[in-house]
Amino acid sequence: MQSISSEQNLSAVGMAVEDTNKRFGEAGISAEVCQHRSGRKYSFVHINCPPNHWVSLAKWLRFEQGVDYLSMITGIHFPLEFEFFSGQPGYAPGTPEKGWEVIIHLTRKGIKNPKLGEQTVINASKLVGMDVPLEYQVSLVLPQTDEPKVPSVQSIWEGADWNEKETWDLVGIEFEGHDNMMRVLNPHDSPPGFHPLQKQYKIRYHNHNEMYDDAQGFMRKPLDSDKKK
Amino acid sequence: MAEMWITMGPQHPMTHGLWTLRVKVDGETVVDTVPELGYIHRGVEKICEARDFTQITPYCDRLCYASAMTWAQSYIYAAEDLLGAEVPERAEYIRLIAVEMQRVASHLMWLGAYCPDVGNLTVFVWCLRDRELFLDLLQELGGSRMHYNFPRVGGVKRDLPIGFAMRARAKIEMFRKRLQEYEMLLDESTIFLVRTQGVGACKAEEMINAGVTGPNIRAAGVNYDIRWAHPYSVYDQIDGLAAVEKVSSNEGSDCYDRYRVRMTEMIESCNMIISALDSIPGGAETHYNKKDEMIYLKPPIRAPAGQNGFHHFEDSRGESTFYLAGGGGKKGRGEFPYRMSIRSPMFITIPYVSKAMIGYKVADIPAIMGSFDPCIGETDR
Repeated sequence: MQSISSEQNLSAVGMAVEDTNKRFGEAGISAEVCQHRSGRKYSFVHINCPPNHWVSLAKWLRFEQGVDYLSMITGIHFPLEFEFFSGQPGYAPGTPEKGWEVIIHLTRKGIKNPKLGEQTVINASKLVGMDVPLEYQVSLVLPQTDEPKVPSVQSIWEGADWNEKETWDLVGIEFEGHDNMMRVLNPHDSPPGFHPLQKQYKIRYHNHNEMYDDAQGFMRKPLDSDKKK
Repeated sequence: MAEMWITMGPQHPMTHGLWTLRVKVDGETVVDTVPELGYIHRGVEKICEARDFTQITPYCDRLCYASAMTWAQSYIYAAEDLLGAEVPERAEYIRLIAVEMQRVASHLMWLGAYCPDVGNLTVFVWCLRDRELFLDLLQELGGSRMHYNFPRVGGVKRDLPIGFAMRARAKIEMFRKRLQEYEMLLDESTIFLVRTQGVGACKAEEMINAGVTGPNIRAAGVNYDIRWAHPYSVYDQIDGLAAVEKVSSNEGSDCYDRYRVRMTEMIESCNMIISALDSIPGGAETHYNKKDEMIYLKPPIRAPAGQNGFHHFEDSRGESTFYLAGGGGKKGRGEFPYRMSIRSPMFITIPYVSKAMIGYKVADIPAIMGSFDPCIGETDR
């Protein structure tokens, strides 16, 4: 199978990083070349973007850089205090400046509709410049807050719609301007403010002995049940 | 005519799993749809925040019961990116063989589930019969029939057993003949053609904007495939092409194109398996012990905060992506991932298909939905 070579990949990544920095460098958006750490060690574009500039960056990527595909939106919660087990010493994953992070994975695929009765067979070794498929990782960092908000890109990539729904449902990050936001994976009648991937919601952690003694978990108690609250 | 809502699911033959499609109909015509997912949400992403990087593999196997090997490997590549693990080349070949076998088995499961939807009951039994050929081979590798727990961060659990290559070649030769039988049964069946041709038209650009990938986009006439676009493993060293179908109508690809592209993809996957068996370093009939450096290199076990890894993977249903952030665990030392995020192709495809079927008849809903190969295990995670 003919595939994209590392030279094609490097030149495309370099060009994309240069374009992004030239266009948005003054707005505080910075792009850099990052490298995967295993396997073929190909490069991708990593962009740090202030949340208020995200929509303009997204529009530029979509309509001028040919980034036609949004793969995934991930929300991460970085609280100032985090205990893995209740009552045991914890640590601080976050800082006052970084309380939440939204990571968006985009791909430039360069897909065009073929004509009727035809097919587009792309020859990977002949792709140059803007046609080379490229991975983007955009990071939006939010400060410590109880109401994390980023602008929605639902109108730019249709595929962002359900990704944003999922991120709000599980992580609780609001997407401003998102039409028809609703619970998708949690039950529809979950209480407001319940977003289980936030770090204050703990996983019940049990060892294997406990599982054999009480497979159904009827006798299990919360780890802090003996503590006075 | 008066419009009304019909609820299809959660127990309905169309769903191929557990979810609900609420359909607004005007007579026989679909006017609007609302998909409802989440019936089997297990919280895998949260569970994995308390599991180390080897313990996560079986959870990823269980994301999709029809395509466990591809999901486990999708995770493994992201974990290797996070940890910076090196993989021996022989292990990459073994993984490739396993993944392509799983892809054939998954497409056979799809064909077997799809044909009863459109009025052909025979193919279901035939497909499950031939799927056993590949499940037996995968069982030799992983030790179980469905959830293999086979790949490891840094390699694979065991080497190919002695005689595996011989059996694989014989079975693939037989399977190629069987595929011709399927084509004779389906491509010349009026019932099948009437139900699939000209139904469920989708254009390539619309699909990619909505996030639909994999065989579904290749059916619309573009040979885009992550295996060559963002190469991983050793796909560039073996023969095989991305299957692609000619667009058959002005509105884009129809259900028949999506059936054809999967048939071609099964043949291409078989070619890849044979090619990989021919060129595997060390020879296909050699057996190395567990943890031999030909098949496994010990990876780092901790990922400190600030490191992250992601990987786009060509799953049997489209692009699956894992994102892992390091620095998790009891004291933040990184023995567990701090956050694991899963991109399921079907979670994005199902809402798209629900809108794409607007304008068709109620009787076309199973044909259109089934042709995209929904799998709810991965959708709800």
